[in-house]
Amino acid sequence: MQIDRRNMLAGMGAAALASQVPVRVAFGQDKTIRFLLTQDFTRVYTFVTAEYSQGQRDYISLINERGGIGGHKIVAEVSDHGNDLPRAIESYERAKAQGMVLVDPLSTPVARALVTRVLADKVNMITAFSGRSDAADGSVFPYIFPLSPNYWTQMGLLIDYFRQTDGNLKGKKICFVHIDTPFGKEPLPILEALRDKLGYELQTFPYTPPGNDQSAIWPQVRRARPDWVVFWGAGVGQTVALTEAIRNGIRMDRMSSSVWLSESDMDVVGREQAKGVLKIDPCVLGREAKPIQAILDTVVKPGKGAGPENKVGTVYYSYGVMITALILEGVRKAFEIAPNGPISGPWLNAGLHAIKDFTADGMIPATTITTADHQGGGKGRISRWDGGKFTPITDWYSANQDVVWAEVKKYSSEFAKTGK
Amino acid sequence: MFYRRAGIRFTRYRDERQIWPLPLDRRLMLLVLLLALAAPYLLDRLYLVGYLLPWLIWATAALGLNLLMGTAGQVHLGYGAVIGMGAYGSVHLVRAGAPLELAMLAGGLISAAVGIVFGAAALRVKGLYLAMATLAMQYIVDFVISHVPFISGGSQATITVPPVRFLGIPIVGDAAVYYMALGVCIVVTLFMLNVRRTAFGRALAAVREKDYAAEVIGVDTFRFKLLAFWVSSFIGGVVGSVLAVCYLRSISPDQFHIELSIQLVAMVIVGGMGSVLGSFFGAALILFAPIVLNNLIGFMADSMDMQISTDLRAHVPLMLYGGLIVGFLLWEPLGLAKIYNNMRNYFLVWPFRHAQR
Repeated sequence: MQIDRRNMLAGMGAAALASQVPVRVAFGQDKTIRFLLTQDFTRVYTFVTAEYSQGQRDYISLINERGGIGGHKIVAEVSDHGNDLPRAIESYERAKAQGMVLVDPLSTPVARALVTRVLADKVNMITAFSGRSDAADGSVFPYIFPLSPNYWTQMGLLIDYFRQTDGNLKGKKICFVHIDTPFGKEPLPILEALRDKLGYELQTFPYTPPGNDQSAIWPQVRRARPDWVVFWGAGVGQTVALTEAIRNGIRMDRMSSSVWLSESDMDVVGREQAKGVLKIDPCVLGREAKPIQAILDTVVKPGKGAGPENKVGTVYYSYGVMITALILEGVRKAFEIAPNGPISGPWLNAGLHAIKDFTADGMIPATTITTADHQGGGKGRISRWDGGKFTPITDWYSANQDVVWAEVKKYSSEFAKTGK
Repeated sequence: MFYRRAGIRFTRYRDERQIWPLPLDRRLMLLVLLLALAAPYLLDRLYLVGYLLPWLIWATAALGLNLLMGTAGQVHLGYGAVIGMGAYGSVHLVRAGAPLELAMLAGGLISAAVGIVFGAAALRVKGLYLAMATLAMQYIVDFVISHVPFISGGSQATITVPPVRFLGIPIVGDAAVYYMALGVCIVVTLFMLNVRRTAFGRALAAVREKDYAAEVIGVDTFRFKLLAFWVSSFIGGVVGSVLAVCYLRSISPDQFHIELSIQLVAMVIVGGMGSVLGSFFGAALILFAPIVLNNLIGFMADSMDMQISTDLRAHVPLMLYGGLIVGFLLWEPLGLAKIYNNMRNYFLVWPFRHAQR
């Protein structure tokens, strides 16, 4: 009996001690601002994340090389959540205990699960090109920042480009080929609303995820004799769609996708064959942009780059730089508003809301974040693949925002209603 | 020395059939229960929300699947869909104004009703063929959920769980959420511990060992196969509702895909088929090995200043994780519960090994 009791007491003591293993490692004293960049490197997004994250880390290195912001260094914790919620939530809670003020999961499922948590914990979450499209409504989602044109806006931009090119879309036929998931079906309400407004004919062709076989779809698309084709997918679905379209003789210069098309996809399809295909640019691509030049000089040349040098300036790399530039502009503004901190979620939140006409040295369209609009105006431009790179063929513009915002409000008000 | 079996004898059959005949086992369980109850006050928030809560929920789900796979011997590759139906059913009911207690049971009934339909396949086919039939269920349910806007919630395909009360307690904050999950877990665990001592459990065991032999000795296999699917799917549905309310807080179709089903099957197999304790061990290994390995590799890379690329850093934990699962299955094919059992058997008579029967 005695031994049992002793064992029990010892066990209890050990458990109590083990529970108090300090997770709160040094923070507060040192001058750092902590970001959590837990992203999916292994499951679904893979090379997209690798390039995006490389851009993010290189830009953060650039700012840290220049002495940080307000005397503070940016510490970015990069880890893999593999699109798995328990892993993502664990790393979110761990980073939060360490004083993290911003999280960028770059994953729609993870962002969805974190929405209620970050709103309650007052931690800023970046959902660029992912997450809920209705998070553009900052009045309902004060701590969630898409900071980029959402999928509804992207579709609005595309349709407006078609209208600009053809003059009038009445009687024209638009085929929408999409992956049969919520992500793929997301632009449908915008396409339907604009159809009623502009009078084009719309045909939709869903393909089963992940989309590695679309051979049954594209002959149907060809038979429909479309004036424009929009293909909407991610990962393998994009390259297969392009390959099948080429095989079926669809005109590449009448074909477009969202922001999810990159040089890596073109290598798979064939750089020459895919000539002419269109995509949406949320920022300047390539190495000419000033921030990329600065990264090349300050970070990559001395060998401090976060990844292979040939990826610098690629599409997703540029997205990473663009989003990080916006975040760090928010940090700068936060220091202007409250130079002495304390550094916290709400502190950074005020800064992000104060971003005004920021262009990142000409790399992105002038972006203003307000408490109402977290999308930043929804500006983008159309670019065309010329066999070697994506060349812009329009200026920055914004279009059909009335239709987009009607949809945003519809879902955000729904969220606001159940949140209470 | 530890277990002190000397002098323990029973004068009634009931006493001998109790779940834990040895006092030490009983005390151990009491200790675990007390620690579980005190966890919100003992543990850092990270461990409560990041580890204990998902562990309880996934272990409860694994228990439900274990009833089917371990106790009744029917393979199920669509348990994620079963959980999904329960989650969607109960969240929609809660949003329509039903109390959570009822919505939870209704979620269980919805899962059970659909689960039994696909379970009917088990009357005709076994083994791999049954696996295919349940796999079909997974995809059909996935398809229906994401293609009916009323269920999935429109083009955002996310429905948020409104604030709820369970037995009069608002489910907000960390402790209330944890206790709710713990409560359901305890109920399901008690059910699973007791089921094998009932006529139902023995009938399932007979069906598992050989269904026509069971029929010969008078067990109605038709009835018990369907019942196994019914009960297991009911548990799955209830877990779905707990998962939605306590953990996910907003649900979307991709959370209940084949990945979840495979994860649960892995938990059952790695933990030990038919073992209650094994479900907990399996859930812990499958859920936390990637997290712990990831943190470990990250810590090593940071503290030792190793220059490894992010790609490698992300993939090494996965390789180790795969190796770990294969390793455990090679070392002890009967699962983690068997490893515990071996240790217990060793200590049962320690230090008098020759006394081992």
